[in-house]
Order: sequence, then structure tokens, then C-alpha cells
Amino acid sequence: MAGLEIKSVTKVFGAVRTADSLSLVVEPGEIVAVFGPSGGGKTVLLRMIAGMFEPDEGDILVGGRSIVGALPERRGIGMAFQNFALFPHMTARDNIASGLRAKGRADAASRVQAISRLLKIEHVLGHMPRELSNGQKQRTALARALIGNPDVLLLDDPLRNVDAKLRYEMRLELPSLLRRGTAAVLYVTQDYREAMAIADRIAVLVGGRLEQIASPDEIYLSPASVAVARLFGDPSINLAETTPLVEHGTLFAAISGARMPLGMADTLPADRPYWLGVRPEDLGISFSAGEDAMPARVLAITPMHEKAVLLLRFEDGKEWLAALRPDALNVVADDAVFVRFAQEAVQLFDRETGLRVSLSHRRQAA
Amino acid sequence: MSMLQLLQANALVGRKARPRGRALPYLLSLPALLVCVAIIVPFVAAAVYSLQRYRLNLPYLRGFIGIQNYVDFLTDPAFWNTLRISLVYTALTVVIELLLGLGIALLLRRPTRFHNAVSIVLLLPLMTAPAIAALMWKLMTNPGFGILSYLVGLFGLTDFKWASDPSTALFTVVLVDVWVYTPFIMILLLAGLRSLPRQPFEAAALDGVPATFVFFRITLPMLAPYIITASLFRLLDSIQQFDIIYAMTQGGPGDRLMVFQVQAYLEFFQYTNVGRSAALLMILWVITNILSNIFIKNWLRLRARAHSQA
Amino acid sequence: MEHESLAGRIFRGVALTLILVFFMFPIAWILLMSFQTNEQILRIPPRLLFEPTLANYEALISGQLHTAAGNLEITFMRNLWNSLVLSSGAVALALLLGVPAAYAFARFKFRLGETIAFTLLSFRFAPPLLVLLPLSLYYQELGLNDTYFGIVWVYQLIALPLILWIVRGYFEDISPDIEHAYRLAGHSWREAFTRIAVPLAGPGIAAAGLLSFIFCWNNFVFALILASADKQPVTVGALAFVTASGIQYGQIAAAIVLSVTPTLLLALYAQRYLVEGLSLGAVKG
Repeated sequence: MAGLEIKSVTKVFGAVRTADSLSLVVEPGEIVAVFGPSGGGKTVLLRMIAGMFEPDEGDILVGGRSIVGALPERRGIGMAFQNFALFPHMTARDNIASGLRAKGRADAASRVQAISRLLKIEHVLGHMPRELSNGQKQRTALARALIGNPDVLLLDDPLRNVDAKLRYEMRLELPSLLRRGTAAVLYVTQDYREAMAIADRIAVLVGGRLEQIASPDEIYLSPASVAVARLFGDPSINLAETTPLVEHGTLFAAISGARMPLGMADTLPADRPYWLGVRPEDLGISFSAGEDAMPARVLAITPMHEKAVLLLRFEDGKEWLAALRPDALNVVADDAVFVRFAQEAVQLFDRETGLRVSLSHRRQAA
Repeated sequence: MSMLQLLQANALVGRKARPRGRALPYLLSLPALLVCVAIIVPFVAAAVYSLQRYRLNLPYLRGFIGIQNYVDFLTDPAFWNTLRISLVYTALTVVIELLLGLGIALLLRRPTRFHNAVSIVLLLPLMTAPAIAALMWKLMTNPGFGILSYLVGLFGLTDFKWASDPSTALFTVVLVDVWVYTPFIMILLLAGLRSLPRQPFEAAALDGVPATFVFFRITLPMLAPYIITASLFRLLDSIQQFDIIYAMTQGGPGDRLMVFQVQAYLEFFQYTNVGRSAALLMILWVITNILSNIFIKNWLRLRARAHSQA
Repeated sequence: MEHESLAGRIFRGVALTLILVFFMFPIAWILLMSFQTNEQILRIPPRLLFEPTLANYEALISGQLHTAAGNLEITFMRNLWNSLVLSSGAVALALLLGVPAAYAFARFKFRLGETIAFTLLSFRFAPPLLVLLPLSLYYQELGLNDTYFGIVWVYQLIALPLILWIVRGYFEDISPDIEHAYRLAGHSWREAFTRIAVPLAGPGIAAAGLLSFIFCWNNFVFALILASADKQPVTVGALAFVTASGIQYGQIAAAIVLSVTPTLLLALYAQRYLVEGLSLGAVKG
């Protein structure tokens, strides 16, 4: 039986459809990240599940039973908040134990010990929230959400307010922590890397609609729409508008002074406008010209993470980014170069609907 | 609370509970609503009385006379006297208290221990009941033994009668009002001054901008919301002043201090003319209502600012 | 500002001294008077050095006044008691009514709530006689003028707006997520209110309560118009005192001292919150 089941949930605030017919199933023990830009409706969705708002339409089920209309305290839900929301007038211990005490659990003390050992906050259990560092607050909040072994665990961007080092550590720690129980975990984040690192599946929420629900790899390699493609990847995907041409049964895209082969002509209708997308790391740079190479000028080179990012300008004035390994780099700013990409790296999206169009040769999603 | 328990119990059963959940805020504010009703009912009654011929000593003459009570005021010198005295009293007290309060606030601006202690001690007059404050000053201005009468006597004013002399009565009650309420302006402006950002002042000091320029072009404009709110607050209280004047002279000598509420009180209890008293108060209400609408706007702005700082 | 000229410092010193004298002298002088006999008070020129007497206080506390015209009963202690009962009663009722309402106004945005909050606020500035005079016509008939409850009820006009608006501000400053977290941990709405919201707004509730107490205690006109002789507070009682024949001035002074001492002490105790209370929560100290 499904842990958490969201069925066509809709919520309207004023004229804005903050949740537009959302459907999502989270199995027990599964982590689903809800990812999307801010204002996309992520927090509202969590709050409807937690019972702070009620959906206008649709149903929410936990363990097969509808919880719509039930009081928050009767829903069997644990939640960690972005701003921690610790009870300021209680010690960390009392914060963590509050749920167990409400249920009259006798083993509260030992369970608090166990969970705080797991989260490495045993030594601060006697402290008040204001005496805790942000990292400790965050761990206390997590312990409080986890301790009751809830059927559904909601995490509202829990790493938003902690520093970069801690965020990195927690990204490694969280998946195993969250999988300890059988909770269906919904993890809201604005950081696609966090979503990819932690979740089994990612639900991409844009403008109140779920654009795609899939595994991290699948979302990255075959985004369902141009909107999803843009959200994953840093630097983000390069896009060009194109209307492919057919020559000798092969499809070509004429972009920026080059003819780029796309694949077999019979796989998609030609003479329609598409978005052509290529991720920056799939671009190749060389000094050798060719029909399948886009002549460009290197405007700037910037290091970013472990890569070097090149800002390229094509003859038609369009600008793309390429991400290369620094050791493979033998260009300097202002060089004239030629840009290539493999057919397999191309993603095509319908210009009107924004939806992905599959090509026959696409490699299978891992 | 039994209603609440019922509500909670019903809420537990799930889906059906939601309409009742929505009733919760209404239930919580029901008692406050009752108090509102308890205010509005007599208020409406007063509005109705103001349109009636209604004298407690002549109950059989009671009846609607439209706006006759108001029309009568137009040709009634007592009414114009009341309006004039009320406005003069208000203008004098608010202006003096504002200037004095601003001056003291500026003197105490730096948050040293001594300044903080002074500002706390200065609050004591404000925490004294105004009616009692009037009594204190009455004792001090007694022509027989009052210390102030003695002190002005040393300066040759041997026959200074304070509140009992028509020519100095207004001065005396204004003095008491200033004594009680200046600290109010002071404490609000002091809080305002201390909450101002420091950068403009530091920049001005670095640039060697003259002090008068800093005061009129930086301090005053930045303090304006506090000055406006504090003044309107005082304006609203001052035009309705009752306690000090009633405790000091009951509106006398003669009709020298017949401000709105004192006049209305006497109309009601001495002349038992309910209709006229109510009409007088309705006029005062119209004035205060206009002022309080302006006040609330400013007040809300300040309040939002205080909370965004928190 | 840090480097003040000598003239500036002298001016500041003189100005502060004059201000302190003007605002403190009346309180100090009345305090001195309350320890003087009538003869000492009437002496000219007045003296700062005198042999203090507690006779004025003794007379007030015993309720027996010996005058040339004979023995006089004074009910001042009764007035003091009335003030205490009325003010505490009014504050208790206002907290009981106001805190849940303030919570509702802070947490749920609903039109009726705003209407109530603003009606109470605007009537805070309406002429009190407008409400009191019509009430006086019926209060006696209903017998409310002779009950503490009748007066406590009208004192809500003073205490409720204050409590509502200050406490509302404190509730608004508490993140709703804290209460949500408490509810998700398995607590009812009422537990979240009493164990999270109320304790966290505690300082605000205490401040609003203390200030309402001061304002109720200092009120004059409500009881003057509505209360029967038996239920009158010190403000009204002290005034009646002055007009009573044969009263000695030292006793008036002593009565004044007794009536202002409680509020002045409370004010000193609660001074941290006075700014906020005086501005109905618009300015934080």
C-alpha cells in the first residue's frame, strides 16, 4: 500500500492556481524530492499534506486513508521546517521528545538518546534553541521530525539555512537517515544537486504543475520539457530555436552557421519549430573547421566548480556556454574556435508545447 | 470553554470537521465582539437622543425634533465658547508639549545610564492619574498655603489666583496638562530618535555638516512619523480633556473652561438636558473621528515598521 | 556629538536640572505635605525642615477623622480597595477576552476580526461620555452601578483595545511554523495555544496587563458617572475628599500619595514596556 498518495490536488489562492491538479505517489521507504523554482507551489503542497491548508479539490491519502479534513495532530506526519521552528522555550531534549510525550510514550527518554546519538547532538540536548548553532538546530529539528517514526515525513528545504560545509555533509548523511524507517519522504528543495543527491525520484513542480516525476538520471538525461531541462544543470542547458531540414533521409538543424545532424528523418515531423538543447558539458571545442562545427569566438573563460566555463559567441550573435575540464583546455579568450556536439547529446523540445520530442537514436536512460 | 471542547471533539472525526474549524476564529473573538456591541449600542442611543427633545426633568415633552439641537447651537454663544475653549486648550497643550517633549528627547538622546534614568523618572507624572494630578496642583496653587502661590509672591505676584481667576485659569490647567502629558511625547520621540539609522548622521558628521542643517534636514524628517503619531495621539486626548479640568475647576470660573466634555457633563447632570448633551458629544465625536482616522493610518505605518524591525 | 563644547555641556546640565525640577517637584512636595500637620502646612514661609507626622496616614487608614466640627467618617480605604478590585477585575476579564481574540486576529485573517479590532481602536479615541451618559440612564435601573461587574465591564473600553493590539503584535511575531510543528507532534489546537503561543507572547501579555491595570486605576470619568458611592475608586474618592468640609490639607496629600503609589511603582517595574503600551504597540522601546 502506498505511503503517501496525492490525487489531483488543486489549491487556488485568489486568481493563482498554486497547486494545479497534482498527483504523486510516494512508496514507504522512498524519498521523493519536490524540486522547482521558488513560488512554484512546493511549500503549499507540503502544507496541504500537513494540514495547514486544505486542498480545494482532490484527495490526499496516507496508508490508503484520506487525511483531508483531519486535524494536523492526527495525520501521522513528521515535518522539518526550513526555519527549524524549534520551540524557543524548551530545551533541545524537550523539543525532540514533544511528540512522544503527547502520545504518552514511556520510552521517550531512551528514544531521544538513540536518535540524538544518530544525529550527533547528544551533547547539546540540555541546551535551549538560542544556544545552538544553525547546524545543531537543524539536526534537532530533524530528530524531532524523525523520532515518532511517522508514516509520512515532510522536509521543507531543511538545508536552506545552514552553511555550505554542513549542507555538503548532510547531503551525504541524509539519505541513509531518512531510509531508516518506512516513512514516505517528501523532500522540498530549490537546489537541483541536493534533489539529485538525496532523492530516489524527483518531482519537478513549476507554476503549480508537476512537469515530470522521474529518477534523477532520467530527469537529467531526458527532461520532459524545456522548463525541466533548464532547471537542471549549472551552467544551464544551451538552447537554440531551429526548424530542422531533411536531406537524404537525415534531419539537420541549421544553427549559427553550421549544419548539425540530428538523426533519422522519419522520427519526427520536420518543418516545425523546435528548441534544440545541448548541455554545456556536451560541447566540444577545437580549432578545426567543418560543416558540422559552429564557428564561435571565446568571449571569456571562468572557473566554476571543477570545470572551466567558456562564454562563446556565434556569428549570428547568439551566446552559449561550454563547460570543459581545465586540463583539456588549450584556448584563451578572444580565440576563434569551432564548436561541435554529438547527435546523442541533442535534446529536442516542441517549440509550442515545450515538451520533449524523442529521437530514435537516443541512448536509453540509465 | 465547553463550546470549544465540543468543537474540538467534532473536529476529531475528520472531513466534516472543517466548516467548524473555520468557525474557530469567530468563536475566539465572540467576547470581544460583545464588548464592541456594548459600546455601539449606547453610542447609537446617544446619536438618537441628539435628535430628540429629551430632558430628564420633563419626560412628557420627549420627542423627535430632527436636527433642532444642532441648529440651536449655531446661535448659542455657550456652544461657540465651548468650541473656542476646546480648540485653544488643544492647540496650546499640543504645541507646548510637542516642543518641550522634542527638546527633552533630544537632550536624552544618547542612551547613557543617566539619561535612561532621567527618562524613566520623567514618566512618573504620566503615570499619575490626571484627576489626581489636578488635585496635586490645586494643593500647590492654593492662595492660602500653596507653595507655588508663595513662590510667585516672592516675584511680586502677591495676588496670583491661578485657576480661580478667569484670566489665569486656562494657563493653570494647561500647565497641569503639560506636566502630565509632556513625558508621553518625550518617551515616544525618544524611542523614535534612538531607532533612527546612524549612517546619515555619521556621514553628516564626517562631512562637517552644520548641526542646524542636520536637525532640520535629517533628524526632523526622519522623526516625522513619530512626531505625527504622537501629536495626533495628544490631539485626540486633549480635545476631549475632562479629568484635569473637571477636577480643577468643573469648567469654571464662570464658563471660562467649558470644554466639550465638561459642558456635556453639566448639560446632562446639572441641566438634565440629555438631547443637548448628546448633540454636543456627537459634534465632538465627528471631530475626533476625522482625527482618529488620520491617526490610525499613521499608527499602522509605525506599527508595521516596528514589527519589520523585530 | 561626542565632543561637546563647554557651553553645550553647561546648557545641557541646566536644562536637565530645570526639567527634573519641574516634573519631580510636585510629587516631592505633596509627599512632604503628607507628613505635615495643618499648622506646619499653613506656615509662611514654608519650611523644608519639619518634624514629620504619620497622623494623616493614621486618620486615613483608621477611617476616623477628628476635626473641629467633630468626628468624620472617611471611606478612603474603601475607595482604595475598590480601585484594586475594579482594576484587577477589569484586567483579568480583558485578558480572558482579549488574549484569545488577539490570537485569532493574529493567526486568521478574517474580516470580522479586523472590524472588531479597528472598532475597539477607534472607540479608544471617541469621547467616553458619548458611551457613558446613555449607559448612566440604564445602569442604575439595572442595578449595575452598584456592582463591581458593572464597572469592570465598562473598563473593558480602556483595557481591551490595549491588550488586543499589544498582544496581537506579539502573536504576529511568533512564526506560525512553531505552532504547526507542535501540532504535528500530536497536540491539539488548544495545547498549541496554551503551551506555545501564550508562553512565547508572555512578556507582551504581562506588559499589556500591567499597563491596563495602570490605566484602569488612573481612570476617573467612568466611575464618576457610573459607579454608586459605594463602588467608587480612589480617583473619584480623592476628589470628593477635597470638597468635604473640614478636611485637613495634610490628609488630602496623604490620600494623593496613597492613590498614586501603586501605579507609580508598577510603572517603574514595567518601564521597559511603557513605550510600547503607550503607543498601543506601534513603537517598540
